[in-house]
Amino acid sequence: MKKIKILTITLLIALITMIAFFGIYVQEQNRMENIIKDNSYAMDLNGARTVKFVVSKENKTVIKDAEGKEVKNSENLTDEQIAEKGYTKEEVPYNSEDVKNVENYEESKRIIKERLSKLGLSNYTIKLDENTGDIILELTEDDITDYIVSNIYTKGDFKIIDTETNEVLMDNNDIKTAKVLYGASSTGSGTNVYLDIEFTKEGAKKLEDISNKYVESENTQDKAEADNTAANNTTADNTTADNTTTNNTTTDNNTNTNNVETNETAENTANSEENQEETTTKTITMKIDDQEIMSTSFEEPIKTGKLQLSVGATATSEDTLKDYVDQATSMGVVLDTGKLPITYEVEQNEYILSDITSNDLQILIYILTGIMVVALIVLIIRYKALGALGTISYIGLLSIFMIILKYTNVTLSIEGILGIIVALVLNYIFINKILNKIKANEEISEVNKNLKSIYKDFFVKLIPVIIMVIAFCFINWVPIISFGMTMFWGIVLIASFNILITNNLLKIQIKK
Amino acid sequence: MKNIKNKTKILIAIIAIIIIVGFTITLTIGLNFELKYQDTKRVELNLGKDFEISDIKAITNEVFANKEVIIQKVEVFEDTVSIQAKDMSEEEKTNLVNKINEKYQTELSAEEINIYTVPNTRGRDIVEPYIFPFALATLIILVYMAIRYHKLGIIKVLLKSAIIIVLAQALLLSVMAITRIPVGRLTLPLVIVVYIITLMGLSNNLERKLKEHAE
Repeated sequence: MKKIKILTITLLIALITMIAFFGIYVQEQNRMENIIKDNSYAMDLNGARTVKFVVSKENKTVIKDAEGKEVKNSENLTDEQIAEKGYTKEEVPYNSEDVKNVENYEESKRIIKERLSKLGLSNYTIKLDENTGDIILELTEDDITDYIVSNIYTKGDFKIIDTETNEVLMDNNDIKTAKVLYGASSTGSGTNVYLDIEFTKEGAKKLEDISNKYVESENTQDKAEADNTAANNTTADNTTADNTTTNNTTTDNNTNTNNVETNETAENTANSEENQEETTTKTITMKIDDQEIMSTSFEEPIKTGKLQLSVGATATSEDTLKDYVDQATSMGVVLDTGKLPITYEVEQNEYILSDITSNDLQILIYILTGIMVVALIVLIIRYKALGALGTISYIGLLSIFMIILKYTNVTLSIEGILGIIVALVLNYIFINKILNKIKANEEISEVNKNLKSIYKDFFVKLIPVIIMVIAFCFINWVPIISFGMTMFWGIVLIASFNILITNNLLKIQIKK
Repeated sequence: MKNIKNKTKILIAIIAIIIIVGFTITLTIGLNFELKYQDTKRVELNLGKDFEISDIKAITNEVFANKEVIIQKVEVFEDTVSIQAKDMSEEEKTNLVNKINEKYQTELSAEEINIYTVPNTRGRDIVEPYIFPFALATLIILVYMAIRYHKLGIIKVLLKSAIIIVLAQALLLSVMAITRIPVGRLTLPLVIVVYIITLMGLSNNLERKLKEHAE
């Protein structure tokens, strides 16, 4: 009976080992496919998206008046109109010579780093060429890499201007923070995503003045009252007290990534268009990097210093919601981190595989396996049958460990591999301690007592390491979390697997 | 007993010398960073066919006279190779392209291939993401130790633990500075290993002392 028990456990471990190292293959159409998940690897083992941002050498066309001052809102002027008014066209570089200095390059790098951090990127490297200002960014290749790359070097030049005169009323300096909020729509049929811009004390004062000055006309308000109710209701769902109630003149913005719309429904927009002709309201225009985000006036003074912009329409599916949240987040992060002093362009954007090849990893695995085999042979020689059972248990733990790492989505980096090695070394020490104690006294009553004391002694001494491991599990930086997570599962397994399997195997053997 | 004390004194003196020398080297010569983190020159060659890193390595060994290079495959088709070296002259580039053409029957033109400058990664940029995790973990561990071993004297335990943790890391970095072991991807694993060994040693020592104190 005891032999059968040992044999059963051994066969079970053999089965798990086969699954962990060779997988389970099922026929999928005309081929065999392993249904056991693959490990996911970090940037250092898998490769990275490498993007080179170079300081733009491009020029922009500006129109200047007779006095040499830049004429705003001149995009629609024809050559004839320019000549008529005595204006001149000039090619001006995006980056003038006086902005191309180390301080601005450093500041650009700092802002890009801050943006990456606020976007929650958990692994990247950034390099700055101080002579040219070029920045090389290496980041993990995944679903959002393209989205991050396209947004991260946005200049982030925020302006609120008078639509008519182009006078700059507010800019980046007035922004304190920008964050994303979302809540159920007033109709309850979906979720609305908002970009919540909080202004500085000075900015808040400016916003209040602007919202007093750029107020909707009586005429328009009456006509649009019914339509605006919906918008007001929507914004009222949010946490801030005063919200912008964007009105009829709001325009859609179709920049490369951002598409900010107002709170109105399609119906509102239609009604708005009807009212437009009768509106005499002064409006403001919000621009990011000279792209118009919206034009609006205010229904009432904004005293909270916060402005809420609805991003996209009401999202009814998870994908749309994620899309809107991503758009709002990227815009929020750009506004929150300030404007880049340098205009950049992407010169290189490619996926470069790691210089640590699968061949290198295989060599490492062979070396580690060799060391482990020698260590387990030592265990068998030293403790005979008990050592053999300890070895079986050790292999069982290793196999389950490998499966757990695959199914808990632990990203393996070099540090993660170290975590596996440290956990396996700790398990070896633990099993060795158990066997040593049992060998000294094989009385079953003593074995139970001894096992308890070994557990207590081992894990009490391990508490500082466990604290470190748990702390690392909460850090959003791949090399750290990879080590933390592998060690966490390793320690959990050492504690649980040895109680359930090793102890029982050894007790069965002793009773024999 | 006196003998043990003398040995301890000698050990402390050796550690102190290593740390002083290590820090002097770090401040004067600096640490030796692995090629990946240094200023390098890089070329990208589109072979348009599969290749083995080892074959390219053989070519770069000839061209760059066995100097360290980083060879990486590029993009999903893995038919382009990126070669990074500390320095790369036009002559070396031409030689490299010629040898690649010879080996892979390609018709790459050296004139059309640019040498890009890859700036270095600053030491502080490498270290920065690890400061908070280690500081946080150490702080919690010290609080735990102060509570667990309060019978041995809170201040004494805290000071001893903090000094040993810091000294162990300083010793590691000093050894790296003296022996010119490159600072790179294996540095953090080394730091972690030393950190764990320090913690387990400390814990072991304090547990023993606590037991002795209780007895």
